[in-house]
Amino acid sequence: MSWEWKFVWDMMPQLLLGVWYTIVVTVLSSVITLFGGLLLAILESVSTRIGRMFVRFWLELFRGIPVLVLLYFGFYVLPELGITLSGLAIGVLVLGFVYSAFCSGVYRGALITIPNGLRDACVALNLSPYTTWSKVLVPIMVRRAMPALANYVLMLFRSSSFLFALGVPVLLGEAQQVASQTYHFLEAYTVAGVFYLAINIPFVYLLHRLKVKHG
Amino acid sequence: MDKLIEYWPMVVSGLWTTVWVAALTIVLAAIGALLLGPLRLSSSEAVRTCSMLLVELVRGPSGLVWLFWVFYALPLVPGMPRFGPAIAAVIVMSAIGAAYASEIVRSGIESVHRGQADACHALGLNPRQAQLKVIIPQALTQIVPGFGSLAADIVKWTAIVSFVGVQDIMWVANTIRGETYQTVTIYTLLAAIYWLVCLMTSTAFRLLERALPLNRAMAAVNAAGAPSLDNQGELQGGARS
Repeated sequence: MSWEWKFVWDMMPQLLLGVWYTIVVTVLSSVITLFGGLLLAILESVSTRIGRMFVRFWLELFRGIPVLVLLYFGFYVLPELGITLSGLAIGVLVLGFVYSAFCSGVYRGALITIPNGLRDACVALNLSPYTTWSKVLVPIMVRRAMPALANYVLMLFRSSSFLFALGVPVLLGEAQQVASQTYHFLEAYTVAGVFYLAINIPFVYLLHRLKVKHG
Repeated sequence: MDKLIEYWPMVVSGLWTTVWVAALTIVLAAIGALLLGPLRLSSSEAVRTCSMLLVELVRGPSGLVWLFWVFYALPLVPGMPRFGPAIAAVIVMSAIGAAYASEIVRSGIESVHRGQADACHALGLNPRQAQLKVIIPQALTQIVPGFGSLAADIVKWTAIVSFVGVQDIMWVANTIRGETYQTVTIYTLLAAIYWLVCLMTSTAFRLLERALPLNRAMAAVNAAGAPSLDNQGELQGGARS
């Protein structure tokens, strides 16, 4: 079978829908990841034993099990417990939870590089714990963690292709559907791959800039 | 639960497939990274740029996208081979693993103190000897921990091979679920199995870490109660960044 541009043109609307879903999944799960990771890191820092045990359990759970297994778990097991969510919602939540576990390590790493004197200064100024975190520590953590966090957003984008297993029309899912309908496997998968690469480029460029800026 | 006992042989063969696919991928990725990593630090600008582009090309689309492309699309290109599903999966995951690991190797080599290279030069070692006998053995102290966590990731990546019909533990779990509908038990056991295999992988790398030359030397120094080596602070600084 040879390459036919006509089919590439015909499958464009479907593939572009896939691009749209891929971006939606990436953005939504990034929000969960970035906030969830921050919350986990703060929880680990301020809490006593129970909070820490919860964080450790969360990290082990989401870092030691493949995304695919967690996706199937959410898709097939949650309905048996009476929770029915769409494939998209499950996918976004699973990706968000998994990468928040990875990101909390980044935030934690940023937190321990903040000198103790800064916290002492907050105590000396009688700042409330809320102000200390929200106005002093979190902005510094976020700035220091920026390059590594951007890297995890990129990983989220790459992992979004897993959601095709739940029937979410992400780019890979759309490509697979087009391919199985028209038998133009070469065109469908190649164009999808090129799209994935093309969306990658701005990310990689941004990452490079962040690394130069934040060392 | 009783019904699941009958599937025991299937589970064992699935687990075996997962383990050998993961082990082969980890070994090939390590070899690829050791070849590719030094290219990223080559003195020639062209080699650096080409190897950088290669790494970004390989890890740009996810493993799943590459796997589908290599398995379904590549054989349609005239003159291209048709790989079996397991081979296609190992090729794809090794290439991506090598791309990620080459970054680990690169930053590991960069973390070795510059003075070491200068000392090699002063002692009249040629660049090859300097790399192989001085720089790499020290860089391994940084590389092995990073590669260990990548290896645990690779174990998790292998779950994708079930999509092209390789009968790994994921595929076996889905098959058993289709026959027994014991969804909760099956996926809980599956998660526990993956978790254990990942844990074993990272433990193996932690043991390997302890056997590295620089770590052994530092352990010996610490045991003797002597003040720490000069470049120990340097190394820990590298680990943090």
